[in-house]
Amino acid sequence: MSYSLRGTLIRSLLKVVTPLWLVACALLAFHAWHEVNELYEEQQTLFARQLYGTLPTLGARNEPQLPQVGDSDHQAVAAWNRGGQLLLVDSDGLQLDARPGYTGFASLRQHDEDWRVYYLSGEAGSVAVAQEMSERWEMIGGLLLTQGLLWLLLLPFALLALWWAVGRGLAPLAHIRDQLQQRAPDDATPLPREVPSELHTLIDAMNDLIERMAQTLQRERRFTADAAHELRSPLAAMRVQAEVAQLVQDPLQRERALQQLMSGVDRSSHLLAQLLALSRVEAEQQQHEALDWPLLLQELGEAVPGLAASHHVTLRLPPAGHTQWPLQHGDRTLLLLMLRNLLDNAIRYGGGTVSLEADATRICVSDEGEGVAEALLDKVRERFYRPPGQQQTGSGLGLSIVERIAALHGLQLSLHNRNGGGLQAVLTRGHGG
Amino acid sequence: MRVLIIEDDELIGDGLQAGLSALGFACDWLRDGKQGLAGIGAAPYDAVVLDLGLPGMDGLAVLAAWRRSGRSEPVLLLTARDAVDDRIRGLDSGADDYLVKPFALGEVAARLRALVRRRSGHSTPLLQHCRVSFDPAARRATLDGAAVELSARELALLELLLGNKGRVLRREQIEEKLYDWAHEVESNAIEVYVHHLRKKLGSDFIKTRRGIGYTLGDEA
Repeated sequence: MSYSLRGTLIRSLLKVVTPLWLVACALLAFHAWHEVNELYEEQQTLFARQLYGTLPTLGARNEPQLPQVGDSDHQAVAAWNRGGQLLLVDSDGLQLDARPGYTGFASLRQHDEDWRVYYLSGEAGSVAVAQEMSERWEMIGGLLLTQGLLWLLLLPFALLALWWAVGRGLAPLAHIRDQLQQRAPDDATPLPREVPSELHTLIDAMNDLIERMAQTLQRERRFTADAAHELRSPLAAMRVQAEVAQLVQDPLQRERALQQLMSGVDRSSHLLAQLLALSRVEAEQQQHEALDWPLLLQELGEAVPGLAASHHVTLRLPPAGHTQWPLQHGDRTLLLLMLRNLLDNAIRYGGGTVSLEADATRICVSDEGEGVAEALLDKVRERFYRPPGQQQTGSGLGLSIVERIAALHGLQLSLHNRNGGGLQAVLTRGHGG
Repeated sequence: MRVLIIEDDELIGDGLQAGLSALGFACDWLRDGKQGLAGIGAAPYDAVVLDLGLPGMDGLAVLAAWRRSGRSEPVLLLTARDAVDDRIRGLDSGADDYLVKPFALGEVAARLRALVRRRSGHSTPLLQHCRVSFDPAARRATLDGAAVELSARELALLELLLGNKGRVLRREQIEEKLYDWAHEVESNAIEVYVHHLRKKLGSDFIKTRRGIGYTLGDEA
């Protein structure tokens, strides 16, 4: 799903800030209302006290009505003597009821207006000071309006700042994009971490990927180079032998050269088959199926004895129904290839009696040949490595294939020279595998 | 011309030996670097074909050791690696030439001949003396321009004598240059070949220095 970071940020900001702002306004209004009421009512009380102080002087007047000031001053006053006789009143005050003996606030509604009235009564009579509520509402309204205008004025600036900050924060990504566009596929130099720290995990993951890809590419390249290199030797051999066959006059010599040529062809085909097997093992998704070991053993029994016979080797395979194997699931084609390679090695380079044994924890292939020099036990596992003085043809890939397939199945390959002579290859369940 | 081949690959070594022998070289073949290191002193080799990837001791190490100990035999490197660095290192270690596998047998032979020619100071590929001329590449001898039928050994002896004009070659020297380990030297074989050459190329073509050996006759 594609979306804009800016849009998302702005939407999120508005979604969060707007309710917060509304709540803030409500709190402000509530608080201001409280304060304004307190203030005005204090004024009313004060004014009522002053007015009450003037009550004794008012009795002498015969005209109680105060002159009208303006249209409406939102105020109303009235004063009464003890007898309830109106002493002083303004135009709005006429509506105020006398409440002899009452001191305190009262709310009332007249001329479609809400009023707040303060009565003060005493020995000298009583006074009432009233105020229109709309006065207070206007004040609160003004406050809220100012607040709202401020918000509306500031909001565009805030959004602009956000827009700019996001652009600035993402600018290093453009730099990285340029770098990625110009980069060679095998370039393993990591991308710079000069990006906002929020993107570090992404950059780290990409660097990790770049590293792994470069390694894979390098491995592939080395493999191809190695393979090409290894193919040169049989090619050179075949070419030389073909030329010898052309060159020599003696039919026996020619026959020999042609035979050598054939064995060169066999060697190349074997090398190619092993190369293909290895690349397939490297690349292919392995099957995970329940293994029918008796069937596998039968196939092995059909494939290997020919080679054993031609090398005068006695082959001992587990009995036909043998079911004790360290693996119950795996890729049967690959496992067959693995066992065949181990047996091939034992037959070609070992000799005597070659046996395959298996139980629930390990598979073991041993021969009665000369073994491998201790110093070379690790080297023979390397790709294309063949121990010196080797008379048998081979690709030097067999053990690499075995090791790779074993690893795919959680098995570990170890090689030992046997006490009685000969080499033993053991596949055991890897730790945690 | 006697050549030492040091190559661990059975098929290549065998082919080189068979092929170069058929082309008139006397060839010895060793399969191991350490054997090769000592093997160069076993016979008066005219040139060495040296594989780079050898068991026991790397070809370059063998070459460097030879050069350190003053061995100056021309060396033709065989390498399966065609990286420029390898070639540079090979030539800088004292090799005279190199070939990348797979190579043509004819080219190996031609380069070996060129190496030997250069070493002996000849610049023309054709060897001549009096009325006789010899083409080492074609293995063909002519007398007054007419082809002369010679056996492989006779050709080899002719080549050896033509390449050592003015020098007297002892019988054992000739035997060592003409025969590799695989071939037993029959007694008085050299006398027989000298006799044949005299019959085919003129009785005064080869002179015998009693008690010393053989040399070419004087130029007319």
